[in-house]
Amino acid sequence: MNIRGAFIEETFAEAFTMRVARIIITARNERWAREAALKLTGFATSVIGCKVEAGIERQLPDGETPDGRPGLSVLMMTMGKDDLPKRLIERIGQTVLTCPTTACFDGLPAAPDRLGVGSALRFFGDGFQASKVIGGERFWRIPVMEGEFVVQERFGMVKGVGGGNFLILARTADAALQAAEAAVDAMAGYPGVILPFPGGVVRSGSKVGSRRIKSMIASTNDAYCPTLRAITATALPDTVNSVLEIVINGIDAEAIAGAMRLGIGAACREGVVSISAGNYGGKLGPHHFHLRKIMDGAA
Amino acid sequence: MSGLEVKLRGALEAVADCSALLAGAWTGLTAADLARRPVSIAGRGPVALGELAGVSGEPDGTVRFVGDWRQAARLGAGLTGGRVAIEGDAGDEIGLAMAGGSIEVRGNAGERAGAAAPEARRGMTGGELVVHGSVGREAGALMRRGLLVAGGTVGDHAAAGMIAGTLVAFGAVGPAPGLWSKRGSVVALGELPVPSTYRYACTYQPVHLRLLLSRLQARYALPVEGRHLSGFYRRYSGDLAELGKGEILAWTA
Repeated sequence: MNIRGAFIEETFAEAFTMRVARIIITARNERWAREAALKLTGFATSVIGCKVEAGIERQLPDGETPDGRPGLSVLMMTMGKDDLPKRLIERIGQTVLTCPTTACFDGLPAAPDRLGVGSALRFFGDGFQASKVIGGERFWRIPVMEGEFVVQERFGMVKGVGGGNFLILARTADAALQAAEAAVDAMAGYPGVILPFPGGVVRSGSKVGSRRIKSMIASTNDAYCPTLRAITATALPDTVNSVLEIVINGIDAEAIAGAMRLGIGAACREGVVSISAGNYGGKLGPHHFHLRKIMDGAA
Repeated sequence: MSGLEVKLRGALEAVADCSALLAGAWTGLTAADLARRPVSIAGRGPVALGELAGVSGEPDGTVRFVGDWRQAARLGAGLTGGRVAIEGDAGDEIGLAMAGGSIEVRGNAGERAGAAAPEARRGMTGGELVVHGSVGREAGALMRRGLLVAGGTVGDHAAAGMIAGTLVAFGAVGPAPGLWSKRGSVVALGELPVPSTYRYACTYQPVHLRLLLSRLQARYALPVEGRHLSGFYRRYSGDLAELGKGEILAWTA
């Protein structure tokens, strides 16, 4: 399969089941909602080293937010269901609560699994906090120097998918970067997905374990490092001099597949040799995203 | 036709205590079951609802009261669930000590809406009591939880001894609101005399009121305006003769 000269390899991305919460952050204006969201999702690229994977899902029009103010939705994901409430409490408490004018709401109201978040953060109010039940949901009002921070008591948690991915194999580093940027732009705001890495792009794809250090759970994916082509079992065609990866996490497999289709389609451009994907032979992750099946009809 | 409808055959000749009509589990009752529930008429004693009104429809958790229910006292007292609509005015003590569900009155309501029974320590403990018109004195007295809304004016001594919960008034509020309250909120979108036992705290834009008022607009079509959502409110803490964790939020501009 070829799309605008880029070869789509017969392979698949292998992804894992994760636990997801959707957080709605609102503020007086979009600037402050975004400031809070950027802090909330900072240092949250991979559970390999960050405990949580997070990203901004999309900007919300005023009419879509619970309080009618400008807002953003964020997805936060962990491997274990016990980890997610801890990450929500510590991160919302340190980033959203502290940010001027913000409020914080659950974005998965239909999820049966509910996590106590506002119910924990309320203690910052030192006994001066108050709550209101509105439409059957409790909201905490925590007095702060600026006024009041409003946070929903419980947040929904659902099973999601983490680790959807594709690799852009390009003739030059510039071509790889331009293709990756085009892919990210095409996927921006796609409902139900986040791209947790910087600018949505990963330059340091990893393999499981290490050749030398037993305790390392991940190390550089030498098969895709162009500088190692001559001394390792390379996976790179001769014409490839740079590889970038796009990692996609989502609420469900359908959302990831939809975003991948858009992203791969946009990445297939001048200077791109092929599109591949990272997997572990299909034995570790239950979710497999076959590139050619996803791109069926796009060639 | 969905839901139950209770249509008075004629005006009630005297005050009728309707506290037994919707107390306990009622949402699964058929029209015939509901028609058998008692109403106690002053000077006459208990009679079956069916003697006073036609009851029809299929149960779906809702009931509409049609006709002149101004003499009906304690309608929806102790309500725990379901949706109740009164298409006109309602009498005294509507939603007395209700604990859940919703009551929506299209017209006005009498005294002590959502309040506590005289012998009780708590008024409403949950649910939503929305009166599109005005309510009489002592509305929400001893409220413990829940939401009481008046689209019109509110009589004197509203939210007296409020323990928690929220009272929203779109119109003017009478003298002495929130006296002896421990916690809870009195939200005034119109005129309100602040009792001397409340102290001014600040003027700000409470985000939670945007949630609350948006819901009232969406669910009950109450006349919430943009100025209510994005406006400033003066916050008064009180009753300082009590716990002092209550508040009056008075819209300013």
